[in-house]
Amino acid sequence: MHEQSWACIQFGNAVVAATLWATAAAAADATASVKKVLEQSCLGCHNSTIKTSGLSLATVSEARKGGRRGAALVPGNPEESLLMRMISGEKPKMPPYGAPLTPEEVAQVRAWIFQGAPWPDGLNVNPRNTTSAPEWWSLKPLSPPQPPAVESEWIRTPVDGFIVSKLKEKGLTPSPEADRRALIRRLTYDLHGLPPAPEDIDAFAADRSPDAYQKLVDGLLASPRYGERWGRHWLDVVHYGESHGYDKDKQRPHAWPYRDFVIRSFNDDMPYSRFVKEQLAGDVLYRDDPDGVIGTGFIAAGPWDYVGHVELREGTMDKKITRLLDRDDMVATTMSTFVSLTAHCARCHDHKFDPISQEDYYSLQAVFSGVDRADRPFDLNPKVAAQRRPLLDQRRAIQRGLQPLLEIEAQTTSPEVQKIDGDLRALGLERANLQAGESERRKDIQSRFDRLTQERKDLVHSLLDSETRAAIDGAMQKLAAVDRQIGALPKPELVYAATSFFDRQANFTPAWQPRVVQVLNRGNVEAPGKPAQPGTVSGVRGLPSRFEISDPNDEGARRAALAEWITDPRNPLTWRSIVNRVWEYHFGAGIVDTPSDFGRMGSKPTHPELLDWLAVWFRDNGGSLKKLHRLIVTSAVYRQSSRPRPECMRIDADNRYLWRMNARRLEAEAVRDATLQISGKLDLTMGGPSVQQFYFKDDHSPVYDYTRFDVDSPASFRRSVYRFIVRSVPDPFMDSLDCPDASLLTPKRNVTLTAIQALAMLNNPFMVKQAEYFADRVQNLALSLPERIAAAYRLALGRAPRPDETEALAAYAAQYGLANACRLILNSNEFLFID
Amino acid sequence: MDRRRFLWHWGGGLGGVALAHLLGEAGLLAQTSPRPEFNGGLHHPARAKRVIQLFMSGAASQCDTFDYKPRLIRTSGEKFDPGEKVELFQSSPGAVMKSPWDWKQYGHCGKWVSGLLPHIGSCVDDIAFIHSMVSKSNVHGPATFMQNTGFVLPGFPSMGAWLSYGLGSMNDNLPAFVVLPDSRGFAPNGPGNWSSGFLPASNQGTMIRASSPNPIFDLHPPKSAAFISPGSEKAGLTLLNKLNHSHMAERQGDSRLEARIASYEMAARLQVSAPEVLDIARESAATRNLYGVDEAITADFGRNCLIARRLLERGVRFVQVWSGADNGFPRRNWDSHEDIAKDHGDMGSSMDRPAAALIKDLKARGMLQDTIVYWTTEFGRMPCSQGSKGRDHNPFTFTTWLAGGGIRGGATYGESDEWSYKPADKAVYCYDVHATVLHLVGIDHRRLMFRNNGIDRRLTDVHGEVIRELLA
Repeated sequence: MHEQSWACIQFGNAVVAATLWATAAAAADATASVKKVLEQSCLGCHNSTIKTSGLSLATVSEARKGGRRGAALVPGNPEESLLMRMISGEKPKMPPYGAPLTPEEVAQVRAWIFQGAPWPDGLNVNPRNTTSAPEWWSLKPLSPPQPPAVESEWIRTPVDGFIVSKLKEKGLTPSPEADRRALIRRLTYDLHGLPPAPEDIDAFAADRSPDAYQKLVDGLLASPRYGERWGRHWLDVVHYGESHGYDKDKQRPHAWPYRDFVIRSFNDDMPYSRFVKEQLAGDVLYRDDPDGVIGTGFIAAGPWDYVGHVELREGTMDKKITRLLDRDDMVATTMSTFVSLTAHCARCHDHKFDPISQEDYYSLQAVFSGVDRADRPFDLNPKVAAQRRPLLDQRRAIQRGLQPLLEIEAQTTSPEVQKIDGDLRALGLERANLQAGESERRKDIQSRFDRLTQERKDLVHSLLDSETRAAIDGAMQKLAAVDRQIGALPKPELVYAATSFFDRQANFTPAWQPRVVQVLNRGNVEAPGKPAQPGTVSGVRGLPSRFEISDPNDEGARRAALAEWITDPRNPLTWRSIVNRVWEYHFGAGIVDTPSDFGRMGSKPTHPELLDWLAVWFRDNGGSLKKLHRLIVTSAVYRQSSRPRPECMRIDADNRYLWRMNARRLEAEAVRDATLQISGKLDLTMGGPSVQQFYFKDDHSPVYDYTRFDVDSPASFRRSVYRFIVRSVPDPFMDSLDCPDASLLTPKRNVTLTAIQALAMLNNPFMVKQAEYFADRVQNLALSLPERIAAAYRLALGRAPRPDETEALAAYAAQYGLANACRLILNSNEFLFID
Repeated sequence: MDRRRFLWHWGGGLGGVALAHLLGEAGLLAQTSPRPEFNGGLHHPARAKRVIQLFMSGAASQCDTFDYKPRLIRTSGEKFDPGEKVELFQSSPGAVMKSPWDWKQYGHCGKWVSGLLPHIGSCVDDIAFIHSMVSKSNVHGPATFMQNTGFVLPGFPSMGAWLSYGLGSMNDNLPAFVVLPDSRGFAPNGPGNWSSGFLPASNQGTMIRASSPNPIFDLHPPKSAAFISPGSEKAGLTLLNKLNHSHMAERQGDSRLEARIASYEMAARLQVSAPEVLDIARESAATRNLYGVDEAITADFGRNCLIARRLLERGVRFVQVWSGADNGFPRRNWDSHEDIAKDHGDMGSSMDRPAAALIKDLKARGMLQDTIVYWTTEFGRMPCSQGSKGRDHNPFTFTTWLAGGGIRGGATYGESDEWSYKPADKAVYCYDVHATVLHLVGIDHRRLMFRNNGIDRRLTDVHGEVIRELLA
């Protein structure tokens, strides 16, 4: 209960005194309604902490005093009350978020003001759903429920007990097990994103040993194809991309090591808490492990405003906005990925629905205030890494001291310097407007440019006072000495990751120490409030919400503290979040159907006890994802037939309670990869730089053109997880199959079926070429057309064709060629939907 | 549920989504589908059914087009001193610089328009201008996102996608939202500007590159595929249909299977209707002349505007036509940092006649009354010079205009200051323009929402006021 609940505890007496003409009960109703309106629609921005426009409606004194625009209320006179003017009328100004108040609610407020706006002294209202509200399901501590005691032959694992008892409760019954061919097809697509080979289907169908299914599952989980499939799911969740996005969408040629890290982690079954820690603070927590650095590619995975960071000058408003939004992306990605909270909703105001204050949000921003996104060196050889580390530390110390001196140098100017600047600008423009082929002129311009640049440098240097000049020269010499030592080491690898130390690129410079983060009123960089301490949300019982960091300049310690908070066994969100994600990818729907939002705007769990049981089981079994997969896919609920049954359809058409398996449409990557496997062209080379399935020109604004890519080149045949992912210009083929925008956190993909998608499946040059390869393959597998059709069916659909199908397709192939028949099979619903 | 609605459901329109059990629980059922008694509006009667947006990429200068400032002419060459520190994108402020074009009054309303745009000048009595537009970013990428999606971040649905989602399609043969990029390339952010973001993918803009040999991706098989012929296509689709039906017979109750069968029928119709709509050879000489499709300078934008009109005629809901590509060199968009006279000269001459033709042509065909023409850019340019002849970015004030269905022609709303540097009153953000356009097509911008990652998202974020003064 709310301790200061207005309506329930203190309200009655006060109202009797204030409204002589009304019964206490009626007035209590009206005021209870007003309380609800205030709490739901007003208190979020107008409370004792956040007084937007200077107004709080949290206490009586504050409400009567009003804000910058005067009193909010004139008791007894609704027409004169600012509050009424703000919430009523054709286009009410307030509330600015969500739907306007209903006419009934407006009438209730009006009546309440008319009654004198009774508001007993000493009484507060609380914004809805903040910490004083009853604890929300996802924040409740984890305690393992006992699997329900149900007797059923159907049950195979503890998971099934939860499922079957819920089915009983809803008047539903489970479906029988799917046949062997359907099972191996389902499992192989689910765990590998590829179809099973015909011989594997036959072997499994014929294997009568009691552990045939178990062996199949173990074999699939042991294959590296598993990491490629499930790694791709993870890359959706964290919106991994390989170009910056926005204007001037430059490539990130060193992003891919993070993609390989993800795939490797899944394949190696890295314990989940370590997986989390490496991505947030691996560079700090596992200093000698290259994966520690690579893992922080997570923080850098999202879009980045190149122009804002590199071209905008320090100190400008837009620079501040750029940084604010850049950290916002880091906070949003971290919190929605690992704990399924929408903390980013609290940038401009306290979270409207969940116990996340604006201060909590800026505390999270402070965690990331020392890092930027840039290429970061790492060594695969730990010995070299150990040699490089102290050198980099020295280099950083020198540069930190040098930085203010360079700022002085940058500010130094004179009429002569300005003249050179003008000449340089003119030359720059001349160079920019050169046409192709003017190479002589280009050379000439470049040499003039270089000469002027050197002249300018010397001139500025001579203008400095002798002390500054000496200090700069000294630091430069030290720097050169360190750089010589670094240069003697083997060349490091690079990964695009979170880093606090990188080479300056125009106006993009490292923070040197964590930048000060202030709580911004309404998210406005022009309205900074008090400084935020590194921390996190306050709603998790037993865990600190602000971090104790001994050295405020140690930015890595901030990230490490957040990683520890997330992976603490007592943090219920983390463990619920990951088991729900895994469930979602296996079944097509999560136990909570909003996998990155466990707040009040999200869905509630359909099987809360199962979710908690899985979370505890997973946490206490070493955080092994492979064990979790094995548990789920060996359960009877997963092995059910997907066929609809009318008696259950009537009760639960959406199959929320899993009375059958969900049939699934293949994702874009699975369509592409399956096609390649079926045609025999799939190249299973793992890892390394991404394949660019487009024409690329690195211009002032880079050009990406998919129509100029040769679909018959080797880059075409790799698995889709190794595609180079461009943010601004997505691959139209993948796009048509709902492959998500890499600028968007995607916990769950949309499934659409459109004419544009049908055209892509029919006519995309890749699909057309693959149909030919598919035909070539079956041409060599059998002699007669009917046998070739049968071979094609076994490869693509995992079954033998029925006689009518063989007849129709063989006749079609006889007239129009086998490639056309193969193209039809790849366009069939049976290829695209998995039972 | 009728057929179009069924297909729209699987394409991901709002009427269909509302069927979903989950959303019913989430309280989104209150959102309705277009209502005949509202003239196809969602929440109230619609004044317009279609929208065409002309986007001037790179930032079209207000003070060289529609925002007439005698002070710039009077004080040209003098120090620019608006009485505060001026923070520019690339440069330090130069001297006040008048437009290289002379100004003239047009129409009954007496609107001043620069000599760069005489054809649009002749339409001013149909146009309502807003001179106090403000952007939240002075960087092309974020600012272009903002004008398209209401957010400076990537990943949000564009206005066309919202309209497609909210109102659906008016035809069975063409997409609801079509985009015609500049033939020289994409504007900053590329196709991200017409993304459906978190809305179902079917709401994203379908790109038509009219100058390309394959204007729509994958509309037909590649020419290199010799094994595909009209005969094989016809027989193949019939056979595919049969195979899919027998597959579906064992899986009764899965509406996706039927929807996918239907998507192939729609694809076949699109194959017929798209080439027809792109074939402007059938247009009369007078019409071709009106748009300037046979003159080099106006050929590209003119052809795109003419195709846009043909799309609107055939029931496409939202068409976006781009004037300007990326910010590279030699200049191929409105980003005239170096030389306004040359670069705005080229862009203006290529855009002026076709844009005016669109208004005149729609009017002559009786379509202007329920079609909104919406001209915009990502921000404006400074009244002072950059270098000696260019202008730097001005996010503080720029001009947008609207014409057509429900718009009060000849109106002007909001003024910039005497420099055309900042708004003098009534600062207008894209939220307000978006709210106004949505209002005219029968949508309350506060009620068209989609929940994504815990937030009920709107085109207008948490802002937006319908600009009543612009309504007829």
